Amino acid sequence: MRGLRRYAPPLIWLLVLVLTAVYLSRLEPLFAWLEPDRQTVVYPRQSFVALLLQHAAIVAVAAALAIALGVGAAIGVTRRAGEEFLPLVSQLASIGQTFPPVAVLALSVPALGYGAEAVVVALVLYGLLPIVRNTLAGLQAVDRGVLESARGIGLSPWQTLLWVELPIAAPAIMGGIRTSVTINIATAAIGSTIGANTLGNPIISGIVNGNMAFTLQGAVLIGLMAVTVDSAFSRIA
Amino acid sequence: MVLALGGLAVLALWGLDAVRIQPNRIVSGTGHGLIEALGTGPALLVMLPLALVMALAWRPTRGREALMLMLVTAMLAAMPWALSLFIGQFIDDPGGAARAAVSGASWLVGFALILMLIDLRQRLQPGALVTLVLIAVSLGSLGVAFGRGALDSLALVQEYEVRRAAFAEAIVNHLILVGVAVGASLVLALGLALWMRRVAGVRQGVLGVLSFIQTIPSLALFGLLLAPLAWLASRFPLLSDLGIQGIGWAPALLALVGYSLLPMTRNTFIALDGVDPDVIEAARGMGLAPLQVFFQVRLPLALPLLIEGIRITTVQAIGLAAVAALIGAGGLGTFIFQGLGQAAMNLVMLGALPIVLMAMLVDALLKALADAARRGDADDRTG
Repeated sequence: MRGLRRYAPPLIWLLVLVLTAVYLSRLEPLFAWLEPDRQTVVYPRQSFVALLLQHAAIVAVAAALAIALGVGAAIGVTRRAGEEFLPLVSQLASIGQTFPPVAVLALSVPALGYGAEAVVVALVLYGLLPIVRNTLAGLQAVDRGVLESARGIGLSPWQTLLWVELPIAAPAIMGGIRTSVTINIATAAIGSTIGANTLGNPIISGIVNGNMAFTLQGAVLIGLMAVTVDSAFSRIA
Repeated sequence: MVLALGGLAVLALWGLDAVRIQPNRIVSGTGHGLIEALGTGPALLVMLPLALVMALAWRPTRGREALMLMLVTAMLAAMPWALSLFIGQFIDDPGGAARAAVSGASWLVGFALILMLIDLRQRLQPGALVTLVLIAVSLGSLGVAFGRGALDSLALVQEYEVRRAAFAEAIVNHLILVGVAVGASLVLALGLALWMRRVAGVRQGVLGVLSFIQTIPSLALFGLLLAPLAWLASRFPLLSDLGIQGIGWAPALLALVGYSLLPMTRNTFIALDGVDPDVIEAARGMGLAPLQVFFQVRLPLALPLLIEGIRITTVQAIGLAAVAALIGAGGLGTFIFQGLGQAAMNLVMLGALPIVLMAMLVDALLKALADAARRGDADDRTG
């Protein structure tokens, strides 16, 4: 019961998001009132559910890769074998953060061409940075005394990492993942300008054709999606 | 570290194309690698300095690291000229339609060299003057090469030549958009932070609302602002006479200020709130009036953190202003989205590279300013 209450806000947001995606096209009269001179007032090319799923899939794949690579890299450079790379990786993570996400997205096109793959690569590259930085900060903040006593009770380096270091660093790591995913939801929306199918499609199409109804539909759904994910993270982290 | 990066650079030169020669603007053209174009012998000669650096990195001492630093800087400085010579092999008339796009190997080598520079600088910890000279030499060489027309065959340069005026205008537009948004949010944030300090209850509420705005993706917020502003403009002709419409700078500026408020307000509040109460007490004890305490004691002490907030906000705004080009706000993002629409990759870069540079420059400048403010504090206290 308490668990349910705890997770109620994200679940309610999720329900609102899904219902909106499914039934948005039923609100045609409302959009017709907004754009009285138009014949089509509901984005026609793909269903909102399909766009939502594709948007979520791009973000999820990118997040999974970024988490695996980012946490892995941060663990690697904090072990003795990877010490050599620690200053470079932490500097790269802080320099990379000044790169605007849009620029990373745009620069991935000359390298990879148009399409969802280029968007995923850009999202992984950019999403890595907050995860690496936060994981590094979390791992480096683990008290030396705690590590000593872990060794003292006979834990192997692997066991120390899994049972001591990662649990202590977990809140910081989750914070990094949250930042990463939030930025990626936004950047994936812009990804529709480089040929990926996301909820950005109706927005861009609406701007290009001067049809506010399309823009509004995409914007409401992306906003709901972002709020749902953020609300879920605020319960977990 | 340097060893690994040097290896990466050599492999890139070995296996990837250095430039792509395009017969005209849109055709993607054919790639040319170093070995294929020069033959194995001369190509190895080009890689010699890289090999030298890697040999030095094998058993690094401080002296060798200094030598490596000089070599790497020299290579960076030589890159534009080497590129120019290399392109000259393929393109005879620099004014013609044919052009060269910088390709994989060149990007990777440049990237690896910059990373080496960062790594070596970190190890040697040279003074600010040496760092400045290093940057001046590598950027200066690029500037001179550009000025003398050595890079005129580069597609990026050609895209620029066609739209010199538009480029200058886009940069100014971008800066104005960012500057006004950051300035407005700074004023608002100061007000909000003071309010939050006065009335304890509003703190959670204000930060909650601001972080809610921050979670809404930029494209969505721009989209959501279009409709109401268009409606307002159609209802009140005065507003549209002022240029406030659905499309254009108005929604962009509104959204930018909205996004800027969270980092700005949070940092301003923490900065003002974090000043040691004993210091304030002492200032009051010395008979300063409340306003004097604020402007002569609290604000100067809060300055480093305040500048930190401005830095984070400005870097974020530079990126977001690029997205604003989608709703017709102008700025460098215009080139990105035009280029994406026309499949003209060099136009995309003409927009994206200056944005990245601008963000890094602002970041470095404001970091230095925050450091200076911090040192100023320390001086005051000791002196």
